[in-house]
Amino acid sequence: MKIATGLLIGTLLAGLVCGCDRGGDKIELTLDWKPEPEFGGFFAAQKAGAFAQHGLDVSIKTAGEGADTWQLVATGKTQFATTAADQVLIARRGGADVIAFFAVYQTFPQGIMVHKARGFTGLADVFAHQGTLLAEDNSWLHFLQKKFGPGQVKISGYSGGIAEFLAKPDLSQQCFVTSEPILAKHQASDPQTFLIADEGFNPYTTVVICKGDLWRTNPNRVKAMADACRQGWRSYLDDPAPANQAMHAQNPDMDLSTFAEAAAAQKPLIETDQTRSSGLGSMTAQRWDALAAQLVELGVIDKTIQGEDCFVNPQ
Amino acid sequence: MIAGLDQPTAGSVELDRRGIAFVFQDAHLLPWRTVLDNAALPLELMGVSRPRRLEAARGALQQIGLADAMQRYPAQLSGGMKMRVSLARALVTEPKLLLLDEPFAALDEITRQKLDEQLRALWAAHGMTVLFVTHSTAEATFLADRAVILTRRPARIVEDFRIDLPGERTAALRADARFAAVTRLIYNALERGGA
Amino acid sequence: MTDRPGIFRQILPPLMVLIAATAATEVWVRLFHVRMFLFPRPSSVLRFMAAHPADLLVSLWTTAKAALIGFLASAVVGVIAAIALCGSSLVRRAFYPYTVFFQTVPIVAIAPLLVIWFDAGLTSVAVSAFIVSLFPVIANTLAGLMSTDAALEDLFRLYGASAWARLWKLKLPAATPNIVTGLRVAAGLAVIGTVVGEFLVGVFGAGEGLGVRIVSAKKMGRTDELFAAVLIASLLGLAMLAAVNLAGRLLLRHWHASEQD
Repeated sequence: MKIATGLLIGTLLAGLVCGCDRGGDKIELTLDWKPEPEFGGFFAAQKAGAFAQHGLDVSIKTAGEGADTWQLVATGKTQFATTAADQVLIARRGGADVIAFFAVYQTFPQGIMVHKARGFTGLADVFAHQGTLLAEDNSWLHFLQKKFGPGQVKISGYSGGIAEFLAKPDLSQQCFVTSEPILAKHQASDPQTFLIADEGFNPYTTVVICKGDLWRTNPNRVKAMADACRQGWRSYLDDPAPANQAMHAQNPDMDLSTFAEAAAAQKPLIETDQTRSSGLGSMTAQRWDALAAQLVELGVIDKTIQGEDCFVNPQ
Repeated sequence: MIAGLDQPTAGSVELDRRGIAFVFQDAHLLPWRTVLDNAALPLELMGVSRPRRLEAARGALQQIGLADAMQRYPAQLSGGMKMRVSLARALVTEPKLLLLDEPFAALDEITRQKLDEQLRALWAAHGMTVLFVTHSTAEATFLADRAVILTRRPARIVEDFRIDLPGERTAALRADARFAAVTRLIYNALERGGA
Repeated sequence: MTDRPGIFRQILPPLMVLIAATAATEVWVRLFHVRMFLFPRPSSVLRFMAAHPADLLVSLWTTAKAALIGFLASAVVGVIAAIALCGSSLVRRAFYPYTVFFQTVPIVAIAPLLVIWFDAGLTSVAVSAFIVSLFPVIANTLAGLMSTDAALEDLFRLYGASAWARLWKLKLPAATPNIVTGLRVAAGLAVIGTVVGEFLVGVFGAGEGLGVRIVSAKKMGRTDELFAAVLIASLLGLAMLAAVNLAGRLLLRHWHASEQD
């Protein structure tokens, strides 16, 4: 009798401890911006039940705008989150063990939006001329400042909207090429976008991260998550409409036609020859190493980091 | 009512409104001004030039015996001294009518008596009419030539009589039998009025 | 006047607390291996400050400029507004509720407007400081102006003082303790308003203010710089408060009980 009770209790305890293995508990995926086409694949995965199919009970959360999502992952507040590749390097240098396992954008979608009327031909002009540039202090900003010098432009805080851009003809701002320029065009403005990737700074963007610990102790979960994401993004690339509906419900500031335009505009940044051969979301150590070297050169991190420590391709 | 701060319910107030000065129960000095500037305040408000008003204030303060304290501030003065500044302020405009509303009630006995003596001396020097409100029969006896005793609210006149004492009031007078008699008269009148 | 403890006995106790707390924090961070991105070691914060004294001083000056302008503006405008409000009860009833608006408007919401009207930089940041620190000046000054001793008002009226004389020679001086109280609160708020303003509309680059440093350092994971900037901003707030206290003491030393301790 005692043995039986002991076995029963032992099994229950074992079940509790291994509960995480069965994926029955709630998981959060925290996004680093509002629901917009850059996250379309995740919402598509949720709508189509891709997470559930892979044994994951995922709820999608939005962190406050500008929150450092890697900190949330590092402190265990959320299991998965999205961020940019340079943030992963900064995080690791600061002592947080986070790794990336799925990259949405193969090409850096960040750009700078200027008024076409100013007749600029490239980013060099933005820095050379008088005016205000609204941008967050980011690695890419340091990169551009190094490349073009401080110049005449005044740089100040990016508030997340386009109100200032619409109101002032001498104002430029950072943007996601799939988002703000489309919004501005709808407001009858004259946006012209220059891609930062074209200047030589091209980190993976909207990468999904988790604790390095999780990959070591529970690689199946990470792989399941990567597979679900891949499935969701495949579905979104093929037909973005259902996910757009879901996102628009949470983000009514962006109308459905903008969603559709942006989804179309971002396709070439997500699906490239690389992904066609290695799978959606896959990454290479080469690009991570290049990024690390750039960040060291810019003084963003003080010591280099091995690219292969920063990511995995769970296949 | 005399000062124009209140209205009568019946009857009328007839007087020449110019030349009235007022002393409250509290000295009510402006704490951010020196004694000298406090004393000069009425003249300042009437538009008198600075040198003239300060000269008048100095004179009034000297009369009251505060010549040493002119640069002090009210926070550094005793209750009695503050009241004397208030008196000097009242005198600085050389008023024809001086109204005092229980000005010395909050002071100790000795200071009160000294101030009564000082007031009587000032009156002798300046000759203005002085209307003094008090609840102290001894003070009334000492100060007044004429006493008007009022009932409590609504106030009516109970008595209005001349005080039969020498014109020069000295401290010694307080021990005199006549003094006690007048005080008794006033006291009885007050009782009759229900005060 | 009562005794004030000497300057050493005043400074020593809080200084001891500061040193003890810093030492304890250093031990805690090292002992529990607290990750740098969560909380930096005090020693690394101090090291950062020692390594970049000129840069930090320039940042301090940029922030201080905006804070001072915003504070002085709210002091002047606040007192004038209170004077206007105390003059007429109709004006007061009509406009006072809207002064509360300054207390409650979140700067985040109006930041784009600031950029559009004033362009990013010193003006916008000073406006932010002004908006945040205005209300306490109005509220306290108004309270002071409205609570003048009635007997003194009677005295002034007796001597035929004009309304202007009543305001200038009686009500305003009498309200000085209240004004000083309002300015004390406004000083601290001005610094907060400046730093928040710099988060949103401050300019990056050479000579950037402390608020800009804070936001950048946070984004780039440099917590030692972050805490250094926060520390210096707090010291700025303390300095402004001390200045107001000193001014208050000078103005009120002759007459008010609160300044005689």
